Amino acid sequence: MTFEPIWGSIIAWYLFLAGLGGGAYVSAAIIRWRHPEAVHAIRYGRVIAPVVVIIGLCLLMLDATAGFHHPLRFALLLTNFGSVMTWGVVFLGAFTVLSLIGAGLDLAKRNVPMWLDIVAAVFGVCVAVYTGCLLGVCKTFPLWNNALLPILFLVSAMSTGMAAVLCVTILRAPAEFDRLVAFKKLHYVFPIVEIVLVAALLFVTAFSASPSGLESVMKLVAGDCALAFWFLFILVGLVLPTAVETWLLFLSSKEFEESRSAHMIGLASDVGVLVGGFVLRLLVLIAAMPLTLVTPWY
Amino acid sequence: MANYGMLINTKKCIGCYACRTACQRQNNLLPDEAFIRFEEREVGTYPSVRVEHVPLQCMHCEDAPCVSVCPTGAAKYGTDGIVEVDQGRCIGCLYCVAACPYQVRVRNSETGAVDKCRFCTVAAQDGTKMCSCVEACLTGCRIFGDLDDPDSEISKAIAETGATPIAGDLTKAKIYYVR
Repeated sequence: MTFEPIWGSIIAWYLFLAGLGGGAYVSAAIIRWRHPEAVHAIRYGRVIAPVVVIIGLCLLMLDATAGFHHPLRFALLLTNFGSVMTWGVVFLGAFTVLSLIGAGLDLAKRNVPMWLDIVAAVFGVCVAVYTGCLLGVCKTFPLWNNALLPILFLVSAMSTGMAAVLCVTILRAPAEFDRLVAFKKLHYVFPIVEIVLVAALLFVTAFSASPSGLESVMKLVAGDCALAFWFLFILVGLVLPTAVETWLLFLSSKEFEESRSAHMIGLASDVGVLVGGFVLRLLVLIAAMPLTLVTPWY
Repeated sequence: MANYGMLINTKKCIGCYACRTACQRQNNLLPDEAFIRFEEREVGTYPSVRVEHVPLQCMHCEDAPCVSVCPTGAAKYGTDGIVEVDQGRCIGCLYCVAACPYQVRVRNSETGAVDKCRFCTVAAQDGTKMCSCVEACLTGCRIFGDLDDPDSEISKAIAETGATPIAGDLTKAKIYYVR
């Protein structure tokens, strides 16, 4: 039988947006700590977070067809605390409320208490890790069922969250963007860590006990998903942003770095990170091959 | 309390799909919804090769991954060791479908809820004498019964044939295969 992926692009968008939202609020908290004068960038982070997470949750409810037809059933989501999804609902609920309060206070020009930013950022990290654990506990798929995936999703979530905040800052507050030096250098590290994690994930999966691990890896690197994997994820999402940021942050002159053309190159690189983040979620969902379709007879 | 299970002798299976069709009729399933999935492959070496048919369905695991991950409690352990889906609680998130290592849970395309083999002889209100797949099988591949009763037909057949679950100790599955 040909295996059809269980979750498709709707869930990939949800995983991507939930991670991005968590990362965006963490970005706001980091910018507040290192660059407290960058009020616009902080605000963009606080506002992006609840907006994208709420869009993601709407997509999730749309995909859960039986619940969509009977919305009251969503209340039952809090009944099995042995399920990772139930914990995800708790984290997502708390994060949405906290980030909405943070965004609301900021937009109303009121002071956002430090504790609120810290607690919301912690829940943002929980949401990002949860998106990986959700897949990670499924023993069916060797590509998911390992401890690297949640870490990879966390790093990607932070990276995409930061990229989203930087994109908006470049477009709406370019002067502020030039002063976010420490934040940009932190953002620079994430795609590099991600390359290491992806390589590790592929090696560990390829050598897992079931042949479906190798099959999933081959599907990514040399099969149906190879073009998207190498071009959109590795090149556009990881390698080019790393190369461009190395040049802008460390090699180019300060005058050029603060020029509008450098801003646009930086914007393109951050859009690349966002594309890569989504493609990663989608590929992890569709490339995973189940244990027993290939092994019932071994 | 009984602990129901099934034995499937793939050596007798001719791949006619009668079990699947009977199951669809018994359980009023949609045309695109089947609780039994067939895997086929070539076995042996030339010139003595044959096609092996492996019917797969819910294994009613004692440690069911679907029950652990179900966030709403729709997937649950029922009586007599039967894993059930409460259609009124299911939101259709498909987490159980992903968690099932045997890939035998299906979504009802009309309601959006997830469903799977119910061991119909015991679970259905108007249950058949045997599970409908057992009754329909032309070659008598299938035996249904109480695994905890050493004198039941299935317990004797498992001891006699050395039948084992399809994927070793992946889960504590209750469908035994002779292959």
